[in-house]
Amino acid sequence: MALSRQEDEPSPRLLFRRMLTMISPAVFVRKMKGADGEALLRGLMPLLVALPLVLFVLYPMVHILGRSFQTPEGAGFGNYISVMGTSRFLGLVYNSFAVTLMTTGITLILAYVYAYAIQRTRIPFKNAFRLFALIPVFAPSLVQAQGLVLLLGRNGLINRTFGTDFSIYGYWGIVIASVLYVFPYAFLIFSASLAMADNRLYESSRILGAGSVRTFLKVTLPSTRFAVMASGFVVFTLVMTDFGNPMVIGGDYSVLATEVYNQVIGQANFEMGAVIGMVLLLPVALAVALEKWLTGGRNMEISDRAQPLRIQPHLPRDLAFGSLVLPMASVIIAVVGVVIFASFTHLWPYRMEFSLRHYNFDVQNGIAPLWNSIYIGLMAAGIGVIAAGLGAWVTERCRTFMDGPLYFLCIAPAAIPGMVLGLGYVLAFNHPSSPLAMLYGSLLLLAVCNVYHYHAQGFLIASTSMKQIAGTYDEASAALGGSFIRTLRKITLPLMWPTLVGVAVFFFMRSMVTLSAVIFLITPSTQVAAVSVLMLEDRGAVNQAAAFSVCIMAVVVGVLLVARLLLNAFGYRHISLIR
Amino acid sequence: MKFWGIKSFMVCLFAAAGIMGAFLPATGVHAGEITVYTSYEEDEAAAFLAAARRDLPDIKVNLLRLSTGDLHARMLAESANPRHDVIWGWAVTNMVDPRILNMLEPYRPQGIEKVPARFRDTENRWFATTGYMAAFCVNNEVLKRRNLPMPTSWEDLLKPEFKGEVVMPNPASSGTGYLQIASILQMKGEDKGWRYLEDLDKNIAQYIKSGSRPCNAASAGEFAVGASFALRAIKNIDEGFPITMVIPSEGAGNELEATGLMKSSRNKKDAKRFIDWALSANAVNEYYRWKEIVTVSGGTMPKNFVAAGLPEDIGSVMVDMDFNWSATNRDRILNTWQQRLER
Repeated sequence: MALSRQEDEPSPRLLFRRMLTMISPAVFVRKMKGADGEALLRGLMPLLVALPLVLFVLYPMVHILGRSFQTPEGAGFGNYISVMGTSRFLGLVYNSFAVTLMTTGITLILAYVYAYAIQRTRIPFKNAFRLFALIPVFAPSLVQAQGLVLLLGRNGLINRTFGTDFSIYGYWGIVIASVLYVFPYAFLIFSASLAMADNRLYESSRILGAGSVRTFLKVTLPSTRFAVMASGFVVFTLVMTDFGNPMVIGGDYSVLATEVYNQVIGQANFEMGAVIGMVLLLPVALAVALEKWLTGGRNMEISDRAQPLRIQPHLPRDLAFGSLVLPMASVIIAVVGVVIFASFTHLWPYRMEFSLRHYNFDVQNGIAPLWNSIYIGLMAAGIGVIAAGLGAWVTERCRTFMDGPLYFLCIAPAAIPGMVLGLGYVLAFNHPSSPLAMLYGSLLLLAVCNVYHYHAQGFLIASTSMKQIAGTYDEASAALGGSFIRTLRKITLPLMWPTLVGVAVFFFMRSMVTLSAVIFLITPSTQVAAVSVLMLEDRGAVNQAAAFSVCIMAVVVGVLLVARLLLNAFGYRHISLIR
Repeated sequence: MKFWGIKSFMVCLFAAAGIMGAFLPATGVHAGEITVYTSYEEDEAAAFLAAARRDLPDIKVNLLRLSTGDLHARMLAESANPRHDVIWGWAVTNMVDPRILNMLEPYRPQGIEKVPARFRDTENRWFATTGYMAAFCVNNEVLKRRNLPMPTSWEDLLKPEFKGEVVMPNPASSGTGYLQIASILQMKGEDKGWRYLEDLDKNIAQYIKSGSRPCNAASAGEFAVGASFALRAIKNIDEGFPITMVIPSEGAGNELEATGLMKSSRNKKDAKRFIDWALSANAVNEYYRWKEIVTVSGGTMPKNFVAAGLPEDIGSVMVDMDFNWSATNRDRILNTWQQRLER
């Protein structure tokens, strides 16, 4: 970026180039040659991963942390004392855990069953079912909750049709909406993990006379243990820090994340918001520690002699799983489908005749924010693949003294509620003295914010897959004299390639639909699509909000199709794009 | 060959840097360009802005519309390096926050004498041209289905048959919610006011974290009564929702929307021209087409407002709000509300 800015001033540019030459690892390495160079490179790689994380995650968080200790009487624990001293706060903590644990439990079971059906059975229409599982990722989470209200609200489709009178608002509303919201993330991780299996283990198990249940308990479950931990951790943190769903469907059931929203938006109380944000970090940090401890002695199942799994025909098994997957997919489709349907009605739920009038958006800037979101999504996909892929590779393969702290840095963003991160960005980057002040107000900062908001999930997708590629490959390559970079290029990248494409798609999709962090970073010239949905929703233009969401979903699905066709054209037909 | 990877990696890195550079914003302020922050509703803001563009064709106005609370949080967060030149149409209760007042530059726009003195700052930092007032949105279909009487006052909402049928905004996050409880406390006095709010609490199904959504929820038939503001009700009636607008007979709480010039503006010449325009005859004309409260004389109320049930003499149904009281007691009232009533 500096290069393009200094084009018309030759001397600083030359100076800058010379500086680059001096710091370029390639030049260093060429000078030092051989094993020394490689050792140095090994040392530099962790820095390359750590530096952006420090800048775009820790630095804004330090600003927020500082704010949490800032009181009218100077620095101190005043804010913490006044937040934690209330019985209401204990209630919020209880509510947050009640929702999060229930959601995590339900999601893990459902997503495991669903992923197992896709990867380990012979049910028909697998590609369609896989796509259905991912539908919630295509839409802003607000729309998930809206769909549930349209279906199950007091005046929703079900109550109107059957004359019943139940209410979805409250604990179970949040849990159902949250399960729908996080289901795809757990599914993606399970699916990636279950896709990798060594047929020899299953052969041995069969020959030794183990039944299917025993095989599952002794072979399948242990080999996906890490995926269970990883998705449990992802789901826990996503639900713990989500405010969109509880806000729309929670009624008066408040959780910690909505309290942050209340404090910051309603009362412009950054200090209190920062305190609760810090409190949210605690359970999440514990979850991280627990996950790390539990997966400490994991073993690799995919070795260099592995054979791809052959799934035997087994009709009762396929029927059983089919009858489990079908209703799950139906619920997912129904919730999004009712929103799409509502976007084409004249006035839901009173006049159901077909109308396109809601696609004539009278929101500020009209459809332009959709284009901004597309630019941001593409940038985030590019930056995200480099950041998450490099992070996973360095923490899994480089074995430096920095592994522990680096791993924590890579997954720490999951603990940060989007809103807190967004506020941190404003506080950190919109300051004339900040070296990165010029980023503020650009689409690039929005893209960077999205990357680091979802860094942990992208990182975990990459690292789950990396863990399952046995280290023996690396050792073999090293023994044969292959350099560290050559191993990366010839072995790790070809094996990782499908996962990385999945990671890119993941970042693009999240950028299209995310709301909580970017709402503080948008400027008049950098509106994004999801914020337009919120504005329409807030104004009461529910049908228009639905219509705008349909446009977002159309873009995401369109980009998926384009990526699919491109991959096919280059002969990567066998690679499943969404992982 | 050995380090091919590094070279190509560096090439990629710089290519990426170059591409990103293209997305950086152009720095520096262009003459004839100003940034305006507002909390006018989307459709109002769009109509006002279209008129402004006709009258000031040489000024490019970048507009950011956020709800009152969002904008407050944002301006405080940006206070070290404000991005905007003008605050336009934003709640007076928030405007008089000392942290915001400190950002404003005193300015007497042309025609300021048209604004009655009680609607502007004594030090000329802000003036209010428009406002909004509290109203209930009552769903006719739900009333019929559940056999409920049409409520006409805040007092009516205490009737036991409305249990679980009333939604109102959470005053901690919503400006509309705050003006509603502030008006009740001002009308009844604090002791009686709090007792009323505690009784009402028994019938409240939800405190919703937005000022317009209670009306939308009632319009969608999710609840019978949504305490919201008048314009939202009028708009939803125009949309075709089966609702009735009810102005509480005790009097409607209200809020004024103020405009001010930022000290930090990097284009004060054009910012001042825009503020002058905000008091021009054409602007006032637009206000009368869109707002239930206009502090400047020179227009009449649109027919659909009257048809929805708004009296032509709007002052007769409005509570005489003490905005200074609302502003200075905001933290204390919200604290009390949260301790006693928040769920």
